[in-house]
Amino acid sequence: MVPVRCFTCGKVVGEHWEEFKTRTREGDDDPEQVLDELGVERHCCRRMLVSHKDLVDVVAPYQ
Amino acid sequence: MSEDYEVEFIDRDERDARFVVRDITPAFANGIRRAIVSDVPTLSIDTVRVIENSSVMFDEQISLRLGLVPLTTPDDYDVGETATLALDVEGPDTAYSGDLVSADDRVEPADDNIPIIDLKYPEGADSPQRLEIEAEAVMDHGKSHAKHQGGVAVGYRHLQRIEVVGDAADWEDEPNILRGVIEDDGELVPTESFDHDLSKRYPGKEVEVHDVPNAFVFSIESDGSLPVSDLVLNAVDSLADRADELEQAVQL
Amino acid sequence: MSYKCSRCKRDVELDEYGGVRCPYCGHRVLLKERSRDIKEIDVH
Repeated sequence: MVPVRCFTCGKVVGEHWEEFKTRTREGDDDPEQVLDELGVERHCCRRMLVSHKDLVDVVAPYQ
Repeated sequence: MSEDYEVEFIDRDERDARFVVRDITPAFANGIRRAIVSDVPTLSIDTVRVIENSSVMFDEQISLRLGLVPLTTPDDYDVGETATLALDVEGPDTAYSGDLVSADDRVEPADDNIPIIDLKYPEGADSPQRLEIEAEAVMDHGKSHAKHQGGVAVGYRHLQRIEVVGDAADWEDEPNILRGVIEDDGELVPTESFDHDLSKRYPGKEVEVHDVPNAFVFSIESDGSLPVSDLVLNAVDSLADRADELEQAVQL
Repeated sequence: MSYKCSRCKRDVELDEYGGVRCPYCGHRVLLKERSRDIKEIDVH
């Protein structure tokens, strides 16, 4: 699951994850522009979303 | 308060603000910054009672995530006071911060879209994954745990003034970057208005940048638990309380 | 109901003398069930 807050500055980034994901991975928006529009300005917060990969689906079968 | 300070806003928003304060010392400016970060109490989930958790994450991981969710903080809560919240979500669905139900309707998640945990209904399982918890949010200071910090990215810098000292040499066409706020003829100009590049605002000029003494531009971002204005006012009050306490302590 | 057989999914009571074995199907892999107690966690 996405981290709730940015590790470095503490800004809440979790709430932007789903929009970021749908727009960049399923849609073909430019991640840079999406982050700007979401108000995720600092590069510490940006890397939280850019480098995230959801693993819940991968571990779900192994209860 | 015996003195009034001159405060001028550049940007003002519930969550984000930038303003200039004049006639304060750097020490006082830093005092305000530190008070915002560590001395303004906010509500945050501190104890979680797990009734059922068949998700893929451990109770402790989920509790930590819940603790980081900012909660709106009414002003009549004292440090140590608690508020109760509950969450009950069954798969296939995602539990969001917005699913938290509060006993006090003034205490609610500041952001509703934070995913807590994705719950599935695994194939072949006889029941869906489920998360049912009850949580106690407590009012505490930022210095006890970062989750109680109302302000994120709280900072200040000098207000600056630009002095034109002459003409730039012909070969000098490099950008001259400055980030912050400058004062020009008594007017406050954020540097983003000229793309942070002084050579765009003063083309062909050689300029010097000077700090305006005792004038500070604060830039404050709130996590949503308190509006920025409350955050600053509570911080200043806490400084005043401490000064009073010191005065009491040194008196016979 | 503290264990569950991983093959037949039936509830198993662990027998002190019988060893670790499902009395219904003889399978030797048992899964411990989560306790129904409410667990209280302090968030650090």
